[in-house]
Amino acid sequence: MPVVKNVVKKNLFRDSVQLLHLSEEAKKIPGVIDAAIVMGTELNKELLEKQGILTDEGRLATDNDMVIAVKVRDDVSVDEVVSRVEALLTAPRAEERYFYSVDSAIEFLGGANLALISVPGQHAREVVMPLLERGVHIHLFSDHVPLEDEVEMKKFAAERGLLLMGPEAGTSIINGVAIAFANVVNRGPIGVVAAAGTGLQEVTVLISRAGSGITQGIGVGGRDVKSAVGGIMTLQAIKAFEADSSTDVVVVVSKPPSPDVQDRIVDYIASKGRKKYVTCFIGGKEFRTPEAARGRLVQTRTLHAAALEAVRFVSAELYEEAAKKVFLRPEEVVGIAEKEFSKLERGQKYVRGLFTGGTLTYESLVIFKDLIGDVYSNTPLKPELKLEDPWRSFKHSVVDLGEEEFTTGRAHPMIDPTIRVQRIVEEARDPEVAVLLLDFVVGYGSHPDPASAHAAAIKEAKKVAEEGGRYLAILAHVCGTERDPQNAEKQEEALKAMGVTVLPTNALMALTAAAIVRRGLSGEDVNRFYREYLLGYEG
Amino acid sequence: MVEEILKLFRSELRVVNVGLEHFYGELKKQGVKVAHVAWQPKPKLEKDLEEILSKML
Repeated sequence: MPVVKNVVKKNLFRDSVQLLHLSEEAKKIPGVIDAAIVMGTELNKELLEKQGILTDEGRLATDNDMVIAVKVRDDVSVDEVVSRVEALLTAPRAEERYFYSVDSAIEFLGGANLALISVPGQHAREVVMPLLERGVHIHLFSDHVPLEDEVEMKKFAAERGLLLMGPEAGTSIINGVAIAFANVVNRGPIGVVAAAGTGLQEVTVLISRAGSGITQGIGVGGRDVKSAVGGIMTLQAIKAFEADSSTDVVVVVSKPPSPDVQDRIVDYIASKGRKKYVTCFIGGKEFRTPEAARGRLVQTRTLHAAALEAVRFVSAELYEEAAKKVFLRPEEVVGIAEKEFSKLERGQKYVRGLFTGGTLTYESLVIFKDLIGDVYSNTPLKPELKLEDPWRSFKHSVVDLGEEEFTTGRAHPMIDPTIRVQRIVEEARDPEVAVLLLDFVVGYGSHPDPASAHAAAIKEAKKVAEEGGRYLAILAHVCGTERDPQNAEKQEEALKAMGVTVLPTNALMALTAAAIVRRGLSGEDVNRFYREYLLGYEG
Repeated sequence: MVEEILKLFRSELRVVNVGLEHFYGELKKQGVKVAHVAWQPKPKLEKDLEEILSKML
């Protein structure tokens, strides 16, 4: 009989990623069957319970306490294992030199020009303001930053001509450097500003895959395009791109902006802009292109289309080549879908999307709304489609696992696949599920090998379906490049070897999934989709 | 008024990382000049003292 033990360390804190690494180290100790070292939040305790490694002692832990939970073989001493885990906790960190004040860190660097801030949101202002006063640009990753703090900090930064990227900016690429979660992409003539983290990742990756590249990728945080903030940093970035001689084309990406902010952005592009623009307000309203911007402003409905249209502005030949080679032709998508749905049983009728990227979730919901109708989600398009319990899918469901209910006190699912791998197997048990959609967002910041981390769950899911006498279609999109640390192409190959169908863009994954549950789409439908969603238009 | 941003675009990055240690490691892997600040919230007493001092001064 394996032995389970919990030890609670009162008031001991490590950040979620450090704890994830410690958990992985603990699992390598001989005799350990399973281990997790987590802060004692309700969510974490629930997950320990699911893993079968929570005891009464662990149940008493609070948010401020650390829980060491281990499950060991009965031929090893559980106490010895626990003390080895404790030793990992107190082990002196590698030869790294850390600082305990921002001033001493800046002194060590001989001056700083960018700060990456990921402190808890309520403390962001006290860290950010002194840095802005010193003229340092900011990437603010933190969430839960009070809205009034965001407005104050952004106004202050804009007055000083500085960038404040965020709060809740998951991604930026400055001078080719990946900040927070970002990819290794080509340098080139396209500047991207995005109020959508994985939107920025997908667009820069697709531009790179299409053979062009970017000058800078500026993430501004989702709230920037809402009325309360007024697009301060989106406009600041556009002004910078206008003045930057290396940038010829600018892509603006976001979920639907507030109408007044959208107007402000479009007016600025028309009245002050001289460069070429592609807008991608996913799920947003089409606008009439002002006369002054005709011929140099293209609207798009998906990240796929935004990337391609930006490339088209750079070079018509590159665009033609990319549209044919890198992305798929309509008949290819129809063929892939047919191969999958021909293996399904009649009762298999639902899509289930398990996403790590918020913008990729949203883009899928927008496409599904058109192609398959109502889809439930923890981040639905309409309030009445909100999943009652985000942990359980219902009919067509698409879940953003990067949302708060899955991440409080835990690392983001792009780094920690624990929750998704459990969910993949749960979805496979449902005989009405036809197709699973999975995004794999690689690059700096993300898990070192997400395909391998999902291998056991994918295999188990296929087996569960097979034992139930059915086939389960699993689609994936890898958002990354071959130069990312994980090598996106290798990730794709690994997934294909597991029987997963890999699509080159998130939009094409959604189209394919829709074609599978609808048991095919007419040529007319597919052509309309390509026209409306994968091409740009002038409104 | 975007000179400061253009200056950033033309300079080698020197980054202060405050918060998640993970991001420090990821920047380091890219060969970026980066320093990590092991940030902790100020204890309440220290905060209270600061507020009292700032009111007095």
